[in-house]
Amino acid sequence: MAVPTVLVVDDSPTVRKIVQMTLQREHIRVITAADGLSALTSVADNMPALILLDIQLPRMDGYHICQIIRKNLQFRQIPIIMLSGKDGLFDKMRGRLAGSTEYLTKPFDSAELVRTVKKHLVNWEERMPVQQEGMRPRQRYRG
Amino acid sequence: MEQQDRIMDGDLQTLGLQSILKMLALSGKTGKLFVHSGPETLSVGLSRGQIVALHEEGTPQLQPDLLGMLCLIHRLHLPQAQAVHEMAQGDQELILAMLVERGWMSHQEMQQRLEFAVTQSISHALRWANGRFAFHRHLVPLGSRMQPLDVDSVLLEALRQADEWEEIVKEGVTQLSRTTIARWQPEVSNDVRNLGLTQESIDVLCLCNGEIPLQAIALVLMLPEARVARIIARLLELNLVEVVDTAFETELQQDLANLMMRCQYILAPYRGSRTPEHLLPGLIKTLAECVNGLLMHHGRYARSLRGRGHLSPVEIVRYLESCFMQPLQLLAKQHYPILETANFVNGQLDCSDILTLNRVVKGEQLEEFYWEAVRGLGTFLRMVFERLLRDEVGNSHTGRHLNMAWKHFLSEIDGEVKNYQMVRAQRKVTMRGYDVTQPPSIGMVPKWNGAPQPEAWGNGTPEREGDPYWSIDTQRRSI
Repeated sequence: MAVPTVLVVDDSPTVRKIVQMTLQREHIRVITAADGLSALTSVADNMPALILLDIQLPRMDGYHICQIIRKNLQFRQIPIIMLSGKDGLFDKMRGRLAGSTEYLTKPFDSAELVRTVKKHLVNWEERMPVQQEGMRPRQRYRG
Repeated sequence: MEQQDRIMDGDLQTLGLQSILKMLALSGKTGKLFVHSGPETLSVGLSRGQIVALHEEGTPQLQPDLLGMLCLIHRLHLPQAQAVHEMAQGDQELILAMLVERGWMSHQEMQQRLEFAVTQSISHALRWANGRFAFHRHLVPLGSRMQPLDVDSVLLEALRQADEWEEIVKEGVTQLSRTTIARWQPEVSNDVRNLGLTQESIDVLCLCNGEIPLQAIALVLMLPEARVARIIARLLELNLVEVVDTAFETELQQDLANLMMRCQYILAPYRGSRTPEHLLPGLIKTLAECVNGLLMHHGRYARSLRGRGHLSPVEIVRYLESCFMQPLQLLAKQHYPILETANFVNGQLDCSDILTLNRVVKGEQLEEFYWEAVRGLGTFLRMVFERLLRDEVGNSHTGRHLNMAWKHFLSEIDGEVKNYQMVRAQRKVTMRGYDVTQPPSIGMVPKWNGAPQPEAWGNGTPEREGDPYWSIDTQRRSI
């Protein structure tokens, strides 16, 4: 079994590092992006199994990125968890309409983050489109 | 996997691993034997009754970084390890083959290492009392670099190692298992050769870096696990190493990560603000919240409070004050007098006097007080974290990870501080220009004789500091 890759998109280096540290402890590979455009490049290059996406980002906001990913046939199956400090109903609805799978309100708890990520990583390999040999890391994952 | 290929399966309680292997060897079978016990699985590849491959699964931490370990015992240089690491991608057999190919290891040593790994895994599996096994024919591992091993000789050595493990358990070394991770005590920094340790003990000590489990140490040194356990027990007695409690460290890491997330969240609304009246109190709130979070965390995880059962809040408060009160007072006395208004109340730093300064002073004077508080609290925060990390996890794997996350968090605070400094510098330059023609803003004391002397602004020359009409920058100290 290969290791799943999670893409973390947040403009805060603290959030990126903490999420990375927390998920790596669970044997999940983490890649990061600090803005919207790098996030889209990273999705295309790395084909993550899950995306943790902040809403307020420089250059392109999280809703917009979510819509772009959902419109793409190759990537539309990737679960997207929105991360935001906003916990209002309107923002959650907007996230849902943009196509997010779940919503995590900041400041989130590490244990809650791990639980949510693992929930959406079940059977992640089946959702992944066929890739070229050697694209996936060879380490093992115990979810 | 076809059902008809499974020619034998059963319970380990009915038929032990030793008997299964002997039986398969005697009948010269070819195929793969799977043995499961709890989360662990051992698969042994057999060809005509001889062992040709072995794979162990079950515990993620039992995937040792062979190259890193060889570097730690000075068998390999870092550039050599890096060159092999990128190409082998963690495949242990491939790593050994590449080392042989490049002349960094002899072929004989590679065979010895492969054979030792097989013996070690079988020795461990021989101790499984419960579990199931299944043998599948036609599942032959291809391209193994290991020379076929005779089952009898492997079993003989594996049983000897298993017996040795039983012996140390009887001797009372029960706190160690093959997954135990040990690390150097933070205070150990002297030359360990002076302690009269054997070379084996020094090698084990070198590998006790808080990341490598006992089983992996045994593997790289090609020593039986029981002997390594005995050495670690001795090093524990000598207070040279400590056993890493992974569950505890995960909890500790999570607690600090949550704290950093919370503080980053408090800081977020103030990020990018160019209004000092908004930004500075925001930074003070963030820093104070962070200091208090760290103090609360240390009250739970401090080394000297661990393992003492339930402690009364008074004891924890006393401990925290004994650690941090004096550095705070010193900081206030020597560098940041504003911190004299921050007090320790029930083990927490009370900064409400600083945050309510706007009721007492206004304008630039208020801004100056806030600015001093930001710098003072920032220094104190760094001091608290440094001490806390050194005490709780030391220079360990977890410690390094936390330190890195902490640096990222500090970089966000520093970024805001730099932004403010920029605004402050720009304003000062503008003010110097305005000084001749425009009245100063609120809080600025007008210069008496009018003529601007930009080169002398704020450089603290003695005659200027005594001047009651000089800038608030210099006046503030006397206030």
